[in-house]
Amino acid sequence: MREPIVRSAGLVGALAYAAAIGWLYVTQPQTAAQVTGGFASIVGAYRIDQQAFDDGLRFFRQDQFVEARAAFARADPAERDARTQFYIAYAYYRQGWGRVYNDDALFAKGLATVDRAIAAAPDGRLLVDDTNLLMHSADELRAELQRGLTKDASDLNPMRVFRPRK
Amino acid sequence: MTPIREAVILPAIFLTVALVGGADFGQRVSLVPASLFALVLAVMLVAALVRCGALQTARFLHGSRTPLANINGFVVLTSLFAASAQLLWMLTPRSGLPMFFVDVLLFVLLLNTLVATTDRVRLLRSLAITLGSALVLKFVVLAGLSAPGTSRTARVMMALFDAATFGSIAQSPQPAAGGYLAFLAVATYLVGISLLPRPPEPIHTGMIRR
Repeated sequence: MREPIVRSAGLVGALAYAAAIGWLYVTQPQTAAQVTGGFASIVGAYRIDQQAFDDGLRFFRQDQFVEARAAFARADPAERDARTQFYIAYAYYRQGWGRVYNDDALFAKGLATVDRAIAAAPDGRLLVDDTNLLMHSADELRAELQRGLTKDASDLNPMRVFRPRK
Repeated sequence: MTPIREAVILPAIFLTVALVGGADFGQRVSLVPASLFALVLAVMLVAALVRCGALQTARFLHGSRTPLANINGFVVLTSLFAASAQLLWMLTPRSGLPMFFVDVLLFVLLLNTLVATTDRVRLLRSLAITLGSALVLKFVVLAGLSAPGTSRTARVMMALFDAATFGSIAQSPQPAAGGYLAFLAVATYLVGISLLPRPPEPIHTGMIRR
């Protein structure tokens, strides 16, 4: 084989390998599905499992949030689809919401998930057109989750028991 | 040195070490970039390799080489530095007195190697011993001291040891895979170093000085 071909192929391979390592350092994937899904999304080949997503949506609308999250996780194993991650975060919000107090653990998980949704959305802007939801953007959901986690004097306001679940 | 070794094998080896060297097994597996001190140690290590002739930079970057060959050489040198930094970071304990002492130990050993060793083979032996010692210290000795006890007596002894040393010795428990990966990284790195081009043999003219 001619030397320039070997050198060019080696250079391209080394740069691709270095870029993949850099990507792994930046994104810190935890599962093989996240690694393969991440590489697939880079080349625009990542697709969610639509059947599992529809199942998740059905559970979500019936207030079966644990089942909904399981189905959404199956639909988007690499956690790269902004819309699916939005619904998972919304499921954490609705399950954790309480008239007297919120479940901080679920809200914290929701906040981490909505951050992932925002990171996966193009330009960080995510709008979900779903008439069953009262919050349609990831920014609203994020702010609501953050408000739920914040401890302040308004927590003692007795009128808060009348606030609606969004 | 053949083009395939320079363009394919050496970058693949050193980039693999850079990848494996960053693996940190805590509650979740994460890839951690090297600390500033590890970068300093890597500079000393690369300087020692250059000084003793194990790494001849002119064989990788030189005006007489083609631009493509120089880019290949640059990739090898960059990946060697990254691998050195990540490997030294991997072999350093993460906290407490062990981190301090191992950092000092590696600094002194590399400084001594940099100053005293001028022979390629001796440097490779010295490097194998230095890296091997750090590996044993972190992944055998300290991991053994920090491993969760399997019996009640072992757990009591561990708690007493931790209290006696004010928690400054024990490290986060390491899974067995961490030690095996570190061993693989050290071995791969040493293979990569030994594959670097050797200095040219001195030419014997056959003349005898009277």
